[in-house]
Amino acid sequence: MAKPIELVVNGERRRIDVEPEMPLLWVLRDVLGLTGTKYSCGIAECGACTVLLDGEEIRSCATPVSEAAGHEITTIEGLAHTHFHTLQEAWIAEEVPQCGYCQPGQLLAAAALLARNPHPDDAEIVEHMSGILCRCGTYQRIRRAIRRAAGTAKGAAS
Amino acid sequence: MPSPDAVAHVRARSPFVDDLPEPEGTLHGAVLPSPVAHGRILRLDTAPALAMPGVAAVLTAADVPGENQIGGIVQDEALLAQGEVHHVGQPVALVVAATPRQARAARDLIALEIEELEAVFDPRRAAERGKLIAPARTIACGDVDEAWARCATIVEGRADSGAQEHLYLETQACLAVPEARGRLHLFPATQSPSGVQRITARVLGLQMHDIEVEVQRLGGAFGGKEDQATPWAVMAALAAHRLARPVKIVLGRGEDMRMTGKRHPYSTDFRLGLDGEGRFLAFEATYYQSSGAAADLSTAILQRTLFHATNAYFVPNVRVTGFCCRTNLPPFTAFRGFGGPQAMFVMESAIAAAAERLGRPARELQELNLLRENDPLPYGMRVRRANARRSFAEAVERFGLGRRLREIEEHNAASPLLKRGLALMPVCFGISFTNASLNQAGALVHIYTDGSVSLSTAAVEMGQGVATKIRRIAAGALGISERRIRVESTSTSRVANMSPTAASTATDLNGMAALLACRMLASRLRTSAAELLDVRAEDLELRGERVLLSGEVTDLGWNELVAATWKRRVDLTAHAFYSTPNLHFDPEEGRGRPFAYHVFGTAMVEATVDLLRGTATVDAVHVVHDAGRSLDPLVDRGQAEGGIVQGLGWMTMEDLVHAEDGRLLSDSLATYKIPDLHFTPTALEVVFLEDAANPAAVLQTKAIGEPPFMYGIGAFFAIRNAICAARPLAVDRFVAPLTNERILGMLDGKREEQGARSEE
Repeated sequence: MAKPIELVVNGERRRIDVEPEMPLLWVLRDVLGLTGTKYSCGIAECGACTVLLDGEEIRSCATPVSEAAGHEITTIEGLAHTHFHTLQEAWIAEEVPQCGYCQPGQLLAAAALLARNPHPDDAEIVEHMSGILCRCGTYQRIRRAIRRAAGTAKGAAS
Repeated sequence: MPSPDAVAHVRARSPFVDDLPEPEGTLHGAVLPSPVAHGRILRLDTAPALAMPGVAAVLTAADVPGENQIGGIVQDEALLAQGEVHHVGQPVALVVAATPRQARAARDLIALEIEELEAVFDPRRAAERGKLIAPARTIACGDVDEAWARCATIVEGRADSGAQEHLYLETQACLAVPEARGRLHLFPATQSPSGVQRITARVLGLQMHDIEVEVQRLGGAFGGKEDQATPWAVMAALAAHRLARPVKIVLGRGEDMRMTGKRHPYSTDFRLGLDGEGRFLAFEATYYQSSGAAADLSTAILQRTLFHATNAYFVPNVRVTGFCCRTNLPPFTAFRGFGGPQAMFVMESAIAAAAERLGRPARELQELNLLRENDPLPYGMRVRRANARRSFAEAVERFGLGRRLREIEEHNAASPLLKRGLALMPVCFGISFTNASLNQAGALVHIYTDGSVSLSTAAVEMGQGVATKIRRIAAGALGISERRIRVESTSTSRVANMSPTAASTATDLNGMAALLACRMLASRLRTSAAELLDVRAEDLELRGERVLLSGEVTDLGWNELVAATWKRRVDLTAHAFYSTPNLHFDPEEGRGRPFAYHVFGTAMVEATVDLLRGTATVDAVHVVHDAGRSLDPLVDRGQAEGGIVQGLGWMTMEDLVHAEDGRLLSDSLATYKIPDLHFTPTALEVVFLEDAANPAAVLQTKAIGEPPFMYGIGAFFAIRNAICAARPLAVDRFVAPLTNERILGMLDGKREEQGARSEE
């Protein structure tokens, strides 16, 4: 058996005994019970499994857990500590979710964007959020919600 | 009040099937699919799989205790292949093991030998060979044969539209949990809980009351979980029943794409005749629907194709015939629009052909022929509150058609490499299940002594906002805050014999049933209040959580009234039932009144084509839509926006490619592309018609789920018009989707590129 892997997940230190090549997605969902992160395509093409690794978004379905060892992982369950309120409120105000399945990934990707660039313009939003799929087609509202959250963030800062 | 679902979704506190806590000892299933499209099973040896670590069982057709039959309308589909296989991906065996990984590893060791038989993938070839799922269906009116002689212009040609993968982001899934006294509790991701219950009972040889099916929510469905969630649920149930252990099946994305059915591809011959002024005199079409290897919902879908053959236009002489052609592909199934989009694509192709032939803009012919109040459709039903012309005129006016056309003309004159095009897309879509029997729903409402309310209906929440709408309806009827109302999961134990959540009817049917149940309760409460206040019940109403007497607030509030009513031993539970009145249709005659009403609207779609690269961009979609008196405009507009994006995908980028042996090549998101934010038009605007009350549905609303999908068809013709600005196109061949590859071929003048990839 490989030696235990240490991760910091949503601010908590976790030691887990799994094979190092196990995708982070399954570690989060099946080992740690954090089911907010979703499986959908399994090949890093849809973004449903997006989480943050040291604040940068990654596709957890295609990230071996060994690559996350020693790093800080933020999942939807832990997003409250960073941009939860602004984005959550914007998402609810714009009534973004339909089926909801992709929304954790959308929110984490948006959080990564705002962390890096608090006031993205439309082109930057499109560039960053493209490829994170929503089959209900809520894209227009995702764009609006990010704008709204960015505006709120601006207001709060000034 | 924000929707409780939205609040839960942004916190990821809305569990889907695979998120549910697994009971101790849950086993996991993996399905062995047929690797060949048609063949005879010579050998199926499961022993190597059984010997693998963690494996609890390998189940085949021989292990089915009841009937190995999951067909709904036509009983032609085995749960697990028996003797023969009829498509690549057809389930042959189920491996059950301690972990999903063990199950899949063991599955790959099953020895399966199949003698290959000839397979047919092209619907026209299947029809030639008489491989039909059901007899041909025809709808006709007037006298088409006589009318041709009176036509000044006749165009004919062929229009083909492709399949579409649902790509619900939550793949097919079910958790089956055995309970005490031989009961099975199933948690499948299905639009049809009673369908799963009925088929599970049939396959397991149990009674329906032995099985409870419960659905909290779906991570997308779009029709793909109407019939096709059933096999996985039944397999999980079969294994759970055999092993007396909880069993879960969750398909991987590739498995899901390879094994489940999609939107039906159609190949259609059309002929349209016009008089000297451009009025449609006659329309004839023959639809070859590729139905796949089993009937599934194909016959009902073909029926809707025939209903929508003339879209939003009046045509006095019509004859349309459709064939459900048995092909060796996974059974094609319901997908938003249910055969309607395929029909409308053909009609709009015929109009484009006529317009290009006559050198007139298609929009002139469209406008001239739009339905008027009381016009009959080919199946004999007359349209009432026909908002076809109103929505068209409002779209033209509000979105500045003239200005946009001038801009496009100027742009195209000045731009040699980027050409722009515009198309209008009117839609007329009938609302009701085309199988009249399905237009029924039940609701069960409890008021608890603390004043809180539990509401159950047959509606499955899958993102369409039905829970939000029904909660609003109930709150209005009881005169209380929405916060007091919990919309329960959809369970076969609370509402029996449910129709699937489909055909855009969930709110119409279940909302009405909920309204009736709440009105019964409100009436009982008013009677009780009248006795308490010593006044007449007719003078009382419930509003704002208070009892009002002749419009004046009394001292009696909701909580006190509920408590007092319970004390008086009055039933605080109501069940109500609703069935849509006056629906009838005779499929043999092809006449009747199959719909409660029609939904109308018009889209204006603009696109740009890059003549060098063959790429197309949909720049703008502006829609005037008839949403009735919307109960929740934010929810309804979201449905419209999402439906449009899906429709654009179907017409432009979503291309399913099969190998010659019937294997799906585009079986992952690396090879099958759906719209993303980048693709979504920057301008996507949906405006609802004002004053569009609809007496035919609950609280004057209109169904919203499917109709907007068909606005996406406008993208095909906007792109085609952009190409036509550079070079003329043949008017007898229309093939969707307009992928970049196909556009390049059209620009090169390759006739075959305008045609389907040849399957002959």
